[in-house]
Order: sequence, then structure tokens, then C-alpha cells
Amino acid sequence: MHRHFEGLDENFRFLILEVQNQIKATIEFLLAPTPGTYDKIINKDDYIDNLKNVIENKCFTTLSQTKLSPEQMKYLRAVHVISINLERIGDYCVNIAKQMGYLSTPRFLENFDYRESFLKIHQTVSDILPTLHKANLSGALAICRMEAELDAMYKGNFDKIMIHLRIGRNVEDHITSLFIIRYLERIGDSLLNIGEALLFVIIGERIKIQQFQALQRNLTKSGLQGEVTDVDFQGIWGSRSGCRIARVEEKNTPQARDSIFKEGNLRKIRQEKINLECWNEIFPGLVPRVFSYQEEGENASLLTEFLAGCTLDEAIFNPDEEILENALFIFEQTLQHIWEQTLNRFELPTNMMRQVGDRMSSILQVHPELMRPPLGIGPLPIPSAGELIKGCMDIEARYPAPFSVFIHGDFNINNVIYNHQNQKVYFIDLHRSQHADYVQDVSVFLVSNFRLPAFDPLSRGRIHQTIASFYAFAKSFAQAHDDPGFDIRLGLGVARSLYTSTRFELNRSFAHDMYNRGLFLMERLTEKTPEELAGFSFPLEILYY
Amino acid sequence: MSQDEKFEFESVQDCRTIQKYLQALQDGFDQGRLVLSADGAEIVLHPAGYVKFEVTVKKKGQENKLAIKVGWKDRGDQAAESGTISISS
Repeated sequence: MHRHFEGLDENFRFLILEVQNQIKATIEFLLAPTPGTYDKIINKDDYIDNLKNVIENKCFTTLSQTKLSPEQMKYLRAVHVISINLERIGDYCVNIAKQMGYLSTPRFLENFDYRESFLKIHQTVSDILPTLHKANLSGALAICRMEAELDAMYKGNFDKIMIHLRIGRNVEDHITSLFIIRYLERIGDSLLNIGEALLFVIIGERIKIQQFQALQRNLTKSGLQGEVTDVDFQGIWGSRSGCRIARVEEKNTPQARDSIFKEGNLRKIRQEKINLECWNEIFPGLVPRVFSYQEEGENASLLTEFLAGCTLDEAIFNPDEEILENALFIFEQTLQHIWEQTLNRFELPTNMMRQVGDRMSSILQVHPELMRPPLGIGPLPIPSAGELIKGCMDIEARYPAPFSVFIHGDFNINNVIYNHQNQKVYFIDLHRSQHADYVQDVSVFLVSNFRLPAFDPLSRGRIHQTIASFYAFAKSFAQAHDDPGFDIRLGLGVARSLYTSTRFELNRSFAHDMYNRGLFLMERLTEKTPEELAGFSFPLEILYY
Repeated sequence: MSQDEKFEFESVQDCRTIQKYLQALQDGFDQGRLVLSADGAEIVLHPAGYVKFEVTVKKKGQENKLAIKVGWKDRGDQAAESGTISISS
């Protein structure tokens, strides 16, 4: 791989050597402190700092002046991160040497086991350069794992110190020793950063060691052959609903199988896995199959089938109009089937308006002005946002859903996949699926169309076509299944989604537009008498931009 | 010097619902007194005498904008310096 940079490589090699020397000098000083070794450590600090600055300058100059391949850029980024962390390790060595002056006797430190930590740190720093040059994955992982080892050693010494402190023995010396040992633990943190920077060069993506290990276990468990380096990470890791997602593709295998890897919050990932299995039982093939699932502490990871096709919003913007018509037809047919098959005729209350209250602090964090106070023009009162929410909550309590179906739960347009070849649609991102009001899905889907960031007349025309088609479909389902409150609940749901979606919208004027349209719906609902409300018809034009 | 008093109301309406707001403003001009309130605070306007009246219309493709601007100065014993009402759609 041609990613070497003359001069820079040399500086980098020197930095590693100097940090190694600094570690060596520090252990020597701890074992037998002399003024000479102390001065050597202190004087070397500036040199290390300068080397780091030279490397940093060269990295940034090379980045700005030379046309680099993606590999070269990754290499430079890694060299930069590693240099910063090496310099920090150098600083910790200096701090350790300075702390020694506070001990009543240098021999006091002999009470603790620190030599092994130093040896391991020294060895790990020596491994950086060969690991980088040979793109050695297991080498990078070993560097990452050093953090856990140093943590364990720190914990052993920490517990020992605490025992002595509790009985008040040699308090000053024990506290100084704790400071010194704590620096070793922090060197471990820097080594972890270095290891992750190496993983970045080798794998080609930013990945945390914990995510990497989870992926490795999932791949093994799902029967995928070979090393993690044999898989391709398609696209940069995305982050959705607090989870990290990557597409994983097997290379060079005849029965190549693509999959999606998700890692994140235990509760969400676990729920998604349970829901996927539930969907697969009711409608096999509608959602991705689960290949493997792992739990680790507060996190979980999931490897699922990758479903080929485009998201439904991509179908909207496809120049071939027939694709959109086809996609919508199949989408609506599929939904009709799901809703009818899972329909449970038990009335259930909804809590759409409560969600506005729950999300208010996130909304106001992004747009502090989106909370209209009570206003008045002459004798005419203009209701505040709070009054409107309250009024809508009262309406919601009077209009429960007449039945439930198994809903998607996060029915954004980009959570529906359309496969033109197979003439099928699939659902993804199902951690919120449950038996609930189908209007929940209908309103989220409609507003996700409205929010699509395409404002040219042609694209908007397509979006309006989708909105109109989907509303007509849902309305006819409501009529066929005796749901007279459909339009009212849809008004509440759409108002809710318009209002709460502003927290994702940084375009101020578009966010204001969504908010004002939400309030418009809430005003129209709350101004009516109970008799008038029964005849409420959802003003679909509010979703035309 | 007194602080600027400000009243702002931004909303989406339809041609039917907008009329009650226009009517409320019209009533204020008719009575020579218009009270605008926001979160408990009030601005009282006394439109009187000669007023500056502007209507501006902009049309660009599908976008339309009609702005009505009315401005005047308070005179005599009225304390406030000036008044302006602006309506945009």
C-alpha cells in the first residue's frame, strides 16, 4: 500500500522511539531515582512535544496541499491521532516522575506492583509501528486490549491503597502512590485510542473495539467464514436512534451473503430482535431475518439479513413514474393485508398528544421559540400552544381507536424497502412495533413524506402524489372497518408529528412551517363543538408544501 | 427612553380562518383603540389622524406575498412615540 510520506514517517518513527525512551527512563527513575534521570525526563518532554507538533503540521499541510487517495487520508488521520496520544503518554511519564518528589521515601512505591504495567506499556508502544506498517489486525486488537489489562492492574493496586487509607496508615504516601498508579491507567486509555486509530486504518472505518468484538462474535456465530478483514463495510457507519449501523459484505466467497450489523442500547436492540422474530412468525419474509444476537453489559448487537432494494423515498424520486406507482400499489396492498390479518377488535386509548409534552424539552432545545404563549388581538384570543395541546388531549381521550393492528411503530418512509425485481416491500427498523392504533403509523408515514428535503416542483409533485394515494388508501380502510374517528385521530397524530419533528429540523423556516401547520390542525380540532367535531374532515392540503 | 414594545404572531391559516384576525384589526381601527396582548403583557395602540398605509405584493412562481403596513405617530397627550401594524401573508 503506497501511503508513506517522506519526512513524516521519519518523524513518526522518532516520536515512537522517544516515547519508548521516556517510558524506560521513568521506570528507571522509579526504581532508583537520581537527579540525572529526572532532568533527562523533564528535558525530553519538550522534544516529544515538538515532534508531535511537527507531525501535526506535516499531516495538515499534506492534507491541504496534496491530492490523496482515501487510504492515504486514513493513514494520515491515524498517524495524527496516534501522535497526540503518544505525546500524552510522554506527559504522563513526566507527571509520574514529578510525583515521586512527594513520597517520603522512593522505596514506598515498592509496596505496589507497577513494574509489569510499565513493561507492558513499553512493549505495546514498540508494537505500534510494525502493526501499522503490516496492517496487522490482531496486533491492533492486542493494543486495544492493553487498556483492560492496565485497568485490572490499577484496580488491584487501588484496592490495596484503600485498605491502608481506611485505617489512616501513611496517608500522604498512599495518596501520592495512587496518583502515580492512576497515570498508568490513563496511559491505558491513550493506548486504546491508538489501537482504535490502527483499527481505522486496517478496516477502513471508525470502529470502537467493543463494537468490533461484537461484530466478530456475531460473524462467527452466524457461520460466516474467515476474518473480519474479509468483509467489506459498505458506507460509513450510520447512527440511527442511538444505534450504530453498518452494512457488512462478504468478500471472495461463492455464497456471499450481505448483512446489516447494529450495535447499541441493550433495550432497543433487544426489542428489535424480539419484534423481528415476531414479524417473521406472522409474515415470513416481510422483515429481515436475524442471523445472530449478542448481549454485552448495557449494549447489544444484532446481525440481520440485508434486504436488497431501494427505500420508498428513493422510489419517489425515481425518474420512472411507473416505479413509484408500482411501489405504492404493492406497499398499500401489503399494509392492507397486515392490518386485516392482525386486526384485534378491542377499543384502545392512544397517547399521541402526550408525546408532544414528552418531547417538548428536546424541541425547545433546538427551537426555543416554538411554544406560542397566549396571545390576543383586540378581543380575539389566540390560544397558546399549551392550551391547544391540552384541548387535543381531551379530544384524544374521547376518541379511542376502535381496534388495534400490529404496527410498524417507526413508520418513516425510509423504513420501507421496495424491491422492484421481486415486486415486494420490506419493513426495517422495527424496535417500536406493537399492537396499537394504525393511525399512529399513518400519521408518521404522511409527515415523513412532508419532511422529505426536496422542494423542486417535480419532486414535490411526486411527494403529494404519495401523500394523496396513501391517505385515500388509509381512509378507505377506515371506512371499510367502521372507524368514524379516523380523521380526528389522524389530525391529532399529524399535528403531533409535525410539532415533534421540528427537533430534527435545523432549517428554521421549514421548522416554523411544520410547527405552524401542527398548530393549525390543533386549532381546527379544538375550536369545534362536540357535534361539529364528529364531522371533522382531515384537511389533506396541510401536508402539501 | 422607554423600551421597544413588540408583539409577534406567526401562524398558518386558511382563507376562512384568516378573516377573524383581519376583522379584529379592522375593529381596532374603527374604535381608535387596539389592544395586543402576549403572555399577560399588553400593547395598546391608538390609531388616529393621518396614517401611512402601504400595500406590497410580490409574486414569484408559485410564491405569493401580500404585505400591509400601517404606520403613524402618536400626538399630544398620548405617551407612546409611534405605532405600526404590519400584516403579511
